[in-house]
Amino acid sequence: MSIRVLKAGLQTTLQGAPFSGHRHIGLPAAGAADSLSLALANYLVGKPSGEIAIEITLTEAIFQVDQPCSIAVVGAAEYVRINGQDQPHHLTLHLTAGDKLDIGPSRPGCRTYLAISGEIHSDRLLGGRSTYLAAGLGGFHGRALKDQDIVALSDTSPTMKVDRTTPPTLRPHYSDDHVLRVTAGPETDEPHNGILEELCLRHYGVGARANRMGMALEGLPLRTSEASNMPSAAVFPGTIQLPPSGEPYLLGPDAQTTGGYPRIAQVIRADRHLIGQLGSGSRIQFVHTTAERATGIYREKISLLSSWLGQINLW
Amino acid sequence: MPDRETILAAQVAFTACNHWTEIVPGLDSIAVQFDPAEMSPDEAAMIVRDQLGGAALASEPSPIMATIPVCYDKELAPDRDYAASKLGIEADALPLWHAARLQTVAMLGFMPGFAYLESTEPCPAIGRLANPRQLVKAGSIGIIGQQSCIYSFDSPGGWPIIGRTPLRLFDPSNTQPALLSAGQTVRFESISREEFESWPRAAQK
Repeated sequence: MSIRVLKAGLQTTLQGAPFSGHRHIGLPAAGAADSLSLALANYLVGKPSGEIAIEITLTEAIFQVDQPCSIAVVGAAEYVRINGQDQPHHLTLHLTAGDKLDIGPSRPGCRTYLAISGEIHSDRLLGGRSTYLAAGLGGFHGRALKDQDIVALSDTSPTMKVDRTTPPTLRPHYSDDHVLRVTAGPETDEPHNGILEELCLRHYGVGARANRMGMALEGLPLRTSEASNMPSAAVFPGTIQLPPSGEPYLLGPDAQTTGGYPRIAQVIRADRHLIGQLGSGSRIQFVHTTAERATGIYREKISLLSSWLGQINLW
Repeated sequence: MPDRETILAAQVAFTACNHWTEIVPGLDSIAVQFDPAEMSPDEAAMIVRDQLGGAALASEPSPIMATIPVCYDKELAPDRDYAASKLGIEADALPLWHAARLQTVAMLGFMPGFAYLESTEPCPAIGRLANPRQLVKAGSIGIIGQQSCIYSFDSPGGWPIIGRTPLRLFDPSNTQPALLSAGQTVRFESISREEFESWPRAAQK
């Protein structure tokens, strides 16, 4: 069985759980930019939350299957159509051989996940199978899908056939306006006293060059200090750096493992899946919280989601 | 500010237990990541303090010295003459100058297998390029003074390039994909353009 890419769109990649435990050799997380939408999509086809799915970015993508299979679409896409007929998001859909699946542009939001019954063939690397584009590793030959690519799948006649729909209360709200909660970073206090308060007082817009590695945030520049370059140190998805320009830089899932700019804030784990829905033009308000509060928020979110998804982990 | 030995010893201690989902040494720091569903920040801080204070902080024998073949051919080393002039030496003397300096891998970062190297010997500052390149080839050796680096993949970059190694710094088909590891001593060895071109397992990316 396989799925043919009729129209790949801007950036369509195979993404699932991130790489883990290899940042010390320079391997970033990669993986689904919006871990919550991925988990919801996978569940609708009876798969664990971190399995490989197809991540679609901003523009329309069209696929065709050559065998019967179950699929589900969760994310920012404006529409989902099978052979031209509108279909709901958040529902297990059954395709027959030759069906054409059309996933609309993101409106609002940035990314959409297409989960498919059966295992999507994806290059294995250090225990992960997601795509890390910058080094051309994992996923579909390390690259984004192109028109006419054929993605192989193992037998899709689902052993566990499911028909599910996400409960309305658990459906994410896709938007171009986001509130992201942040904790202090290692360089927040010295020598940047008060910088977190400044960050949270301003409104930011995501700049034009937003991608899976990160995005410059446009707004009134923050004041920088002499120490705007520091010895390279660990950064993570969700780290907010302060380059000499004073425009904060928010790191995404493909962010490099170390950086030399002050780390003035860190988006909390519970909110990090929202970074996957940020595209050029999105607006962000940051809200300061503490590490202790952030832990509580994450645990509450996981517990709420696990009532539907079972064991779940966001990244 | 912790020294290199302390950071490496901390990395060994942190790696010896399974509390951390990531352990990331920096040039003068080390970070750990934990799962907030399993551990609170206070608990994490307590465990870090324990592990830093314990007898576990015995340093591990350094990994074996790595010899890195480098071709200094001008075509592969666009900034060779510039770097040599900053160092106050003839361009032809650069391979010998470089080979005479042992380097230590300070950390890996930026890209998979990308190595930051440090030399203890004093060296005039060369500095970064005013305009970073859009494309630096994998295997390129960059130098800004006492610090140098080896690019592991084709990528943008701003370090002056003085040579290129045919070795692959990151090979996903190996059980240990990264060629180098933090703390390792590195020695450079000059090779000819012919040797570079015919090197087995030449860098492919």
